[in-house]
Order: sequence, then structure tokens, then C-alpha cells
Amino acid sequence: MPLSDPGFFGGGLLAQAVLHPVLVLVLCIVAGIGTFLLLPSRREPATRKIGGAIALLALLVLGAVLFRWAAGSAASAPDAPKLNPYFWIFAAVTVIGALRVVTHPRPVYSALYFVLTIFSTAGLFVLLAAEFMAAALVLIYAGAILVTYVFVIMLAQQSQNSGDQPLAGLAEYDVVSREPITACAVGFALMGVLLFVIFDRPGGLPPSATGPFDTRALGETLFSRDLLSVEVAGVILTLAMVGAIAIARRRVPVSQADRLRETQPPPQVADNPHTIPIYGTDNPRQKAYPEA
Amino acid sequence: MNELVLQHYLAVGGILFVIGLIGFMTRRNLIVMFLCTELMFQGCALNLIAFGAYHGNLGGQVFTIMVLVIAAAEASLALGLVVLLFRHKHTLDANAWRELKG
Repeated sequence: MPLSDPGFFGGGLLAQAVLHPVLVLVLCIVAGIGTFLLLPSRREPATRKIGGAIALLALLVLGAVLFRWAAGSAASAPDAPKLNPYFWIFAAVTVIGALRVVTHPRPVYSALYFVLTIFSTAGLFVLLAAEFMAAALVLIYAGAILVTYVFVIMLAQQSQNSGDQPLAGLAEYDVVSREPITACAVGFALMGVLLFVIFDRPGGLPPSATGPFDTRALGETLFSRDLLSVEVAGVILTLAMVGAIAIARRRVPVSQADRLRETQPPPQVADNPHTIPIYGTDNPRQKAYPEA
Repeated sequence: MNELVLQHYLAVGGILFVIGLIGFMTRRNLIVMFLCTELMFQGCALNLIAFGAYHGNLGGQVFTIMVLVIAAAEASLALGLVVLLFRHKHTLDANAWRELKG
């Protein structure tokens, strides 16, 4: 069947698609070029700013097209589903924050931008009437997982002397990306396909049904119909805890790289649990300020 | 629930997933790579919640709770592994582990 046949893409839906495929293609190429320029590399900072501006421009065009479509469908049919205006704010903050997580060369800033993305995603959850999930997301992600990430960054990230340069004091693996062209091409090809498939149906999809969405209903569902998944979740978390302790306590053999590095002093990292002083213990290996 | 237009939420979830994927492929810092997998989890969770709201049942939220559990387990195990790998080679570069015996 030739591509020009109107029945090729599911019965002539192509002509009425919200986002024209050519527009999706152009937007994805532009956003891919912008993201490629924005990814950490040894280019001039001005080039990275231009890349950020290009990616932001593609995002704005996509948002404007979708906003015009939403406003147009709301004007033509007053009872059509309307988007909450807060959706646009939260969606923009989410996407820009995610882009900065990926493209910021400093891992601590990546983690902080990830917190921003978490908060705006929680806002989107609230708009979808999932208040409990929004609260759980903020507590678990921004409260627990991110603190773990920041701890590990502080533990493992060597802090060199920082200068006035924007990339000063960063390790080489933070400054230079790995295969940025291939990754941007693959990623934005996938994004184009996803956007095309999502928006190839004319008109907004109305909600098919409404039900109780409050926390009480969620708890009743969770502990009656989905009780097994709660048990499985408990087993998974226990296994992860045991596994994390087993992994973190394992002794590291002195490797070839360590012997080579003995000429220059390794970075001082106090990650051995036996050398961390514990006050008020009787275990001589854990005493505060060991004599030997 | 009259303000739900499913496709916009699906688009945001898909964009989040793709951005996380690009970050996972391009960044070389092990910690940032796992941060990008968390971004992909976010995209999936947003899609699940949107579909749950669209269909009017709570299955999406229950699935999202499972996603959060898996993300927490993954973060604890992955960060333990990152600390272990860092102690081996004193670097967070993923390229330092290219020559794996296998």
C-alpha cells in the first residue's frame, strides 16, 4: 500500500491528526539539535546557551500548538473536556526541569533539578485527582531517594578546587558526554513516534467514567483487591534492604589501579564503617578515635 | 474530572521518558545515570495515573505504588553498587568499567 493512500494510517486519521507528522518531525529534529548542543561538552558556554534556547523554542511551539488545539476544541464544543490552566505550568516546569537534570554538568544540581521535576509531577498528579500519590511521591522521592542520592554524591564526588570557569573543578566524565549525536537521534525519533501515536486521533478523549478517587477508596482497593501486591511490595523492599547492606559491607580487594595509585595519595573517603567513630560502644573495633 | 484530556498527560509522560532515556545514554557519571532512570520512572508513573483517571478506577494508582516501591528498591541497591564500584576504581566514570569479564 503506498504511503500516499489515505487509508495507510488507520482510516484517514492522518489528515485530521492534531499534530501534523511533518510538524512533529521538524519539532523533534529542532529539539534534538538543541538538546545535543545543550548536553555537557567542552564547547563554548554561549553554544550551550544557544542549544538551550533552541530546545526551549521547540517546546514552546509544541505547547502553543497543543494549547491552540485545546482552546479551539473548547470553543467549538462547550461541553468538551477542558484542561486545567495549571496543567500548562506544571508540564512546562516538569519538562524543563527534566532537561536540566540531563544536561547539567554538576551532579548536585542535577539532583536539585530532579527535585523540581518531582514537585511539578506531584502537581500533575493532583490535577489527575491522585492526591495520595502526589503526597507519596514527594515524601518518597524528594524526601528519601533524593537524600540518598545527595549522600552518595557527597561521598563519591571528588571536589577539586573551583575556579571562575563554569566547568572548573569537574571531572572529565561529567564534562564530556558519551555518544550525544546517536543518543539524541534515537531519543527524539522515539519521541516523534510517541507524539504522533498519542495525537493521531482528532478531538480530545473524554473521560469514560468517574469513580471515587480519594485516599479512603485507594486504601480499600489496596487492601482488598490488591492485597497480594502489597505483600509483594513488602518482600521486595525487605530484599532490597538486605541486599543493600550486603553490598555496602563487602570488602574491596586492593586492585591493580590502587597499587598504581599508591604513588599519589588517593582521595580521602571515610566510607569504611569500622573507622567511623561510634561513641559509647564497647566494641574495640568501633571505638571512637582508635589508638592503632 | 471534566478537565482531563488524556493525550496531554500522555505526551508529558512520554517526553519525560525520552529525556530520561537520552540522559541515560549520554551521561557518564554513574549517579546521574541512575537519576535519569528515576526520570523514566516518573514518565511511566504519570502515564499510569493518567490512564487510571481516564478509566475511572484505581488500578493506575495501585500500579504507581508498585512503581514507587521498585524505584525505592532500585535506588538503594544501585547506590550501594555505585559506592562499591567507586571504592574499586576511585572514579564514577561508567567508561572505567568497559572491560568486564563475561
